[in-house]
Amino acid sequence: MASRRRMLLKVIILGDSGVGKTSLMNQYVNKKFSNQYKATIGADFLTKEVQIDDRLFTLQIWDTAGQERFQSLGVAFYRGADCCVLVYDVNVMKSFDNLNNWREEFLLQASPSDPENFPFIVLGNKIDIDGGNSRVVSEKKAKAWCASKGNIPYFETSAKEGLNVEAAFQCIAMNALKNEPEEDIYLPDTIDVAGGGRQLQRSSGCEC
Amino acid sequence: MHETEQHDLSDDSDYAAASRHHAPGGIMRTDSGKSTASEAGGSEVLYLKDNVAIHPTQYASERISGRLRLYKQGSSLFLSWIPYKPSTDGAVDSLGHGSSSIPVEKDRSLYTIKSLPVSDVHSIRRHAPALSWPYIIVVLSSGLAYPPFYFYNGGVREFLATLKQHVFIVRSADDSNVFLVNDFQDPLQRTLSSLELPRVVSVANRASRHRSDLSSSSFDDSERLNGASYDATASTSEYSARQKKFHDPARDISIQVLEKFSLVTKFARETTSHLFRESHNDGLNAYEKKQQTDYGSLKPISTSDDKKKDSNVIPVASDPLEFEKLPLVWGKQRMHPLCLEEWAAFLDSEGRILDSKALRERIFYGGVDQNIRKEVWKFLLGYHEYDSTYAEREYLTSVKKSEYEVIKSQWQSISAVQAKRFTKFRERKGLIDKDVVRTDRSVAYYEGDDNPNVTILRDILLTYSFYNFDLGYCQGMSDFLSPILYVMKDEAESFWCFVALMERLGPNFNRDQSGMHSQLFALSKLVELLDGPLHNYFKQADCLNYFFCFRWILIQFKREFEYDQVMHLWEVLWTHYLSEHLHLYMCVAILKGHRKKIMGEQMDFDTLLKFINELSGNIDLDWTIREAEALCICAGENGAACIPPGTPPSLSIEPDMGLYPQEDEVL
Ligand SMILES: Nc1nc2c(ncn2[C@@H]2O[C@H](COP(=O)(O)OP(=O)(O)O)[C@@H](O)[C@H]2O)c(=O)[nH]1
Ligand SMILES: [Mg+2]
Repeated sequence: MASRRRMLLKVIILGDSGVGKTSLMNQYVNKKFSNQYKATIGADFLTKEVQIDDRLFTLQIWDTAGQERFQSLGVAFYRGADCCVLVYDVNVMKSFDNLNNWREEFLLQASPSDPENFPFIVLGNKIDIDGGNSRVVSEKKAKAWCASKGNIPYFETSAKEGLNVEAAFQCIAMNALKNEPEEDIYLPDTIDVAGGGRQLQRSSGCEC
Repeated sequence: MHETEQHDLSDDSDYAAASRHHAPGGIMRTDSGKSTASEAGGSEVLYLKDNVAIHPTQYASERISGRLRLYKQGSSLFLSWIPYKPSTDGAVDSLGHGSSSIPVEKDRSLYTIKSLPVSDVHSIRRHAPALSWPYIIVVLSSGLAYPPFYFYNGGVREFLATLKQHVFIVRSADDSNVFLVNDFQDPLQRTLSSLELPRVVSVANRASRHRSDLSSSSFDDSERLNGASYDATASTSEYSARQKKFHDPARDISIQVLEKFSLVTKFARETTSHLFRESHNDGLNAYEKKQQTDYGSLKPISTSDDKKKDSNVIPVASDPLEFEKLPLVWGKQRMHPLCLEEWAAFLDSEGRILDSKALRERIFYGGVDQNIRKEVWKFLLGYHEYDSTYAEREYLTSVKKSEYEVIKSQWQSISAVQAKRFTKFRERKGLIDKDVVRTDRSVAYYEGDDNPNVTILRDILLTYSFYNFDLGYCQGMSDFLSPILYVMKDEAESFWCFVALMERLGPNFNRDQSGMHSQLFALSKLVELLDGPLHNYFKQADCLNYFFCFRWILIQFKREFEYDQVMHLWEVLWTHYLSEHLHLYMCVAILKGHRKKIMGEQMDFDTLLKFINELSGNIDLDWTIREAEALCICAGENGAACIPPGTPPSLSIEPDMGLYPQEDEVL
């Protein structure tokens, strides 16, 4: 149990409704794009095995509803996250402007132990639309914002065409992994007797 | 014993005397609840709030109002809540509806808190639902919990602030609405001790249970009969422990009665609860008085005399499934859908439905044939009155049609130039546009590119977001509208049916999620009542927020069943035949149905969420409805008491209050 748990990397995808969170997740995990995904209600996650430096991990990717009024659910869904992916639509300015809100909301609700260094990744999605002619957020602008927030890695993607999705998630996995070992400093790993104590289990480490 | 009784029963007059004594003497009471003057007994009132009430039942009208105080005596802090005398209730109640309450006199003294040392408080949970008044739940270190205190004049924040000035309070890391009092332990110890599962006993439950109900008792009785090792809910166990201790003769009689019933037949609710009430009334006072002696000192209830309970701590250890096998109750056989001929028979010559209850019952057990859905749904949804005539309805339809066009024209007339400067409109429209193209596109009616029905969905939702601008549009609404338009095939009619549905389910979409939280809360109470071990399991696994049922509740199982099944389910739910909250009993039914797997595999929150999401498409609808029916009947009034007043789809307690508090959110 403990060793299985240890291999789990939890990733949360956040961003305004309709920016393509569900599509990105499905493109990455199932290599599919569908125009028929339903708007996400509540939360769901998909898992995918990833290999990093000869070690296997389970990437658990959480997809939540994007509308602001569902954010109060975040407390339950965000906890124990190892990495947070912020998605915006390069064709919608507001979705970019909101990145900061999403970031802060995440830090507030997930309350990671070291918020300053918590790994975020930003994805600018839907670059395929109109051959890029309808985009309103330039790559430069997005990168500047990322730089100002502690050099957040940035990718431009298309969930529809599968552009850059694999690379982005590879980076996400790496960063999630980087976050993991820090946590287990606080708690001994003999705690498993507790059985159901999720928090304890989660942090029981990854010092392999 | 006798003396104590009298003492306790005199709380009201104590209070009356006390307030007479102090009011002129200068407790400078402002409505903010601050007061500074010293009382005669050397105690200093730090906080005082009037119109703090409890609801012994789910009915908003049954309310006991009182005065909540925090006061200091020496260096110790105490809390008290003294209910008003019945005669003063209406007078003091500034909201002017307290007089409708006819709370039982016994309840007043039952719930009175004369002086609770704050050092005995373990935590305080704060709730601030938007459509109801804020309330707090006080949990004692002993595990005992008081029923929610509703702050009808506000003041929760000050209450907590005052506490904070005098005792050590921390917010729970798990739930920012939980304030841990006197919590000095380090986090590790705290987590470990929380695994010891202190049993939280709801005082309210106990009170309502001995009011009349038979359900939970029937459960433990039937176990006893079968010698199964099923553990009743924690509070039920507490109750029976107490009962054993006090040898309440009324209870014994009831048990016998119920044993017979459970052996012989399924429940006939009215009959049994009637019997129970009758046999119980005689013993009520005796039990009541004993209980009151406990309340004075608020001692934790001794449980050592009940060995059975110990297995509660590790719920998986026993095999509660024995309980499942009891053929105790089973919902009625489902019928064929209501057909045209039957429907016609319900209507009189002018089109009135005379026996709406019979109609709703009929639909509850079989649904509606799809070729008459268009007619019937308008009644079920409340758009048409049951006692309206053909002519009245025809007139209404034409009036409403033009009314719809007027509202629709409000947004249609917004020009592109104007829209440019109208962010809120643009964003709302954008959100709706994005969602309608993601709504039921695999259903033929909405299939394909440039489908005009998708545009109608969009128009109705946008119009609704103008009709109810404060609530606006929220994801999930398109899920509700889609079957309605599919059935009505008419834009204006669909709009008004949707409006009627949102009268009840709109709170699901409140900005602060209060409607959802109250349902999830009620669900947790129902599981606690109907499946104690499962409840204990969820508690231990830190799953009591029930967020894994969020989708089920938000859109009433829309994503869990096939399209035509959803329509069938909804018309059954809309009958409100057994309960307005059958959907919550459905949640219980499905969870119970998978309890073996959930508990056996020790699912944690994530696993559980995934498991529940993947049940979609694999739930047997008829089974679930029947099981929910059975559970609802079994739970009886105890079940109803688990559901706070105003919980959707119940109509809001105070419909004329500010419905949808605005926050900064734009959409
Ligand atoms: N052209 C294009 N459309 C996309 C892309 N990603 C998502 N979409 C579409 O955008 C809409 C919203 O996508 P969805 O994944 O449901 O967004 P979510 O609300 O963030 O989960 C859907 O209609 C998708 O088909 C993309 O990369 N390119
Ligand atoms: Mg989504």
